[in-house]
Amino acid sequence: MRRLLGGLTLAGLVAGLVMAFGVAPREATQGNVQRIMYLHVPSVWVAYLAFGVVLVASVVYLVRRAEAADRLAHASAEVGVLFTGITIATGSIWGKPTWGTWWTWDARLTTVSILFVMYLGYLLLRGMIEDRERGARFAAVLGIVAAFNIPLVHFSVLWWRTLHQPPSLMKPGSAAMPDVIKYALFVNSAAFTLLYVYFLTRRARVLRLEAEADA
Amino acid sequence: MPDNWSFVAAAYGLAAIVLALYWRFLVRREKELDDAGVVRQELRQASSESEPHAAGRGQLP
Repeated sequence: MRRLLGGLTLAGLVAGLVMAFGVAPREATQGNVQRIMYLHVPSVWVAYLAFGVVLVASVVYLVRRAEAADRLAHASAEVGVLFTGITIATGSIWGKPTWGTWWTWDARLTTVSILFVMYLGYLLLRGMIEDRERGARFAAVLGIVAAFNIPLVHFSVLWWRTLHQPPSLMKPGSAAMPDVIKYALFVNSAAFTLLYVYFLTRRARVLRLEAEADA
Repeated sequence: MPDNWSFVAAAYGLAAIVLALYWRFLVRREKELDDAGVVRQELRQASSESEPHAAGRGQLP
């Protein structure tokens, strides 16, 4: 099963690269540097998904005290931090040629940095508390509170005047972009979702094996 | 606007390196824990096999 998921993920990532570099056209205004979007947008989508899973798993843990839910939240937060880091880094690399700066403290960049730091804090918190049950409980509360930042990040570009462009997807009304760009974005988002599930299952298994070894 | 291919290569290259490193970390850690689990199981099996024998010896006159 895991091999099948790994194979599907790899095939999805290759298809995503073909769509991004072979099928999607050169963007008229930004040129080829716009192709970073096929990496940047799926990364932030996976980060939202991962932190959404942390929220749900944290609620389940607090209600049922199920250790599997705690492990799922932990694994998802780690993968989410990884993809948020990629989002920030690729955004910064994209920003330099298009905005003329690597970084600016506008609403989107600031809120996404806060999101990154909050979930980094979540992972640190888990590592700092020795009592496993207590650590899991505190982390679950933080996992729920931190999730309120997700809509703030996503809609920051609509609520405040920012240098960052409005959302490419998941916005009111239809996406104002050619179909071929939408398809390329969709294929890459699907591939990154598979990659997220692949990483999540492996990380959750590692956490379970670690817990068994400690017992 | 110039194409800035170096920025595209930097973004994709960086992401590929980070994702590959994380994948390698997961594979290695999983293998370590699987190996340790096999060793633990073997030790448990060995100790459970020797225990009744030792108890039996203790009852000898």
